[in-house]
Amino acid sequence: MQKVQSDESCLLKFKPDLHHVIYKTSVDVIGKHISGLLVIKRMPDSSTRIVFTNEMGFSFFDFDFLPDSGFKVYQIIPQMNKEALVRTLRKDFELLLYRNLSNSKYYSLKDSGMIYHAFPQMEGVNYYVTDSSCRQLVKMQRASTKKPVMEAYMYGGSSGLAPDSISIRHFNISHFSITLKKISTPAAQ
Amino acid sequence: MIKSFCLAGLLLSFFLCAAQYPGYTLLSNAETFKKSFTQATAFTESIQSNFKQEKSLSMLSEDIHSTGKFWYRKNDKIRMEYIQPYSYIMILNGGKIFIKEGQKENKISANSNKVFQQVNRILIDCVGGSMLDNPDFRSRIFESSGAFLVELIPLAKNLKELYKNINILIDKKDFTATEIAMFELSGDKTVIHFQNKVLNAKISDSVFNIP
Repeated sequence: MQKVQSDESCLLKFKPDLHHVIYKTSVDVIGKHISGLLVIKRMPDSSTRIVFTNEMGFSFFDFDFLPDSGFKVYQIIPQMNKEALVRTLRKDFELLLYRNLSNSKYYSLKDSGMIYHAFPQMEGVNYYVTDSSCRQLVKMQRASTKKPVMEAYMYGGSSGLAPDSISIRHFNISHFSITLKKISTPAAQ
Repeated sequence: MIKSFCLAGLLLSFFLCAAQYPGYTLLSNAETFKKSFTQATAFTESIQSNFKQEKSLSMLSEDIHSTGKFWYRKNDKIRMEYIQPYSYIMILNGGKIFIKEGQKENKISANSNKVFQQVNRILIDCVGGSMLDNPDFRSRIFESSGAFLVELIPLAKNLKELYKNINILIDKKDFTATEIAMFELSGDKTVIHFQNKVLNAKISDSVFNIP
């Protein structure tokens, strides 16, 4: 990878519209599988709430991404209430939500014809990877100082719409993947 | 003096109960209900119905609606199939749970997952009529002109961490559940309404088959 000059503002057009959307969601982690509905909603105070609830009964977690880059856990079931898991999910969602970009020291790298738009975080770096002329977002990536730890791909959903599906794959935790498929809920009858 | 305090306490608790569920009064003697309920459910071999579910996430002011089909066969077989807006099938058969979402199939032994096992039992209990015997809950029964309301308060620690209470509406005509409402500690709730019930029709084994 070599450092190149690039303009971070070209990324804005790829920012997914996640202000109000529901995804059918599957989480696979080390042989365990859970499924449910992930609700992402921008609140009147500009925070973004992400709730993962199962199809029938209770909610697994309720996270709040505050406007000032803060983060709050409103609720989480005891089985998922592990610091490392919560930190991982927080970082994954921050990458998808394009958070912590303006206060980060941006730089860009070139590798195999692709531009890695890099935004250093408190820990590691978030990359938004585009083609060389920044016409297409290829993938999003989180990396430690040494190697990639997670990749996310978005499919469908043109500008102004939420992606039809999102897939997340972790490298440091074996078989930890998250798949999201957009659903449209029927109106109340 | 003590007597008047007791009377005031009784009156207060009566009004609190009445205020909790408008149109319903607390049954002071649950035994008569239990007896009629047990007798009626003894004749229920199977139930088929449609269902409509509303999940309300209170803090998000978000309501998620879904619909599907429901099958029950005595004593421990249930198939719940969500059709809209997503496909999700859950089959409970014996001690096993089978889940199919989209193309993905997942077999869970209910015995290996305590919470699943307990939630599984709630469903079986609610339609099979044994919810009043479940040691995971304490119950109160309320009555209106057309229905009984069974309020279940969790006693088991892991259920207490999830639910404030679970209420089941029982139709007075046939003693079948018309609605199950699960209230979470967060203020969120999930209400399942059973519609177009058919009792005691023959249901093929394949409906509950776990591959």
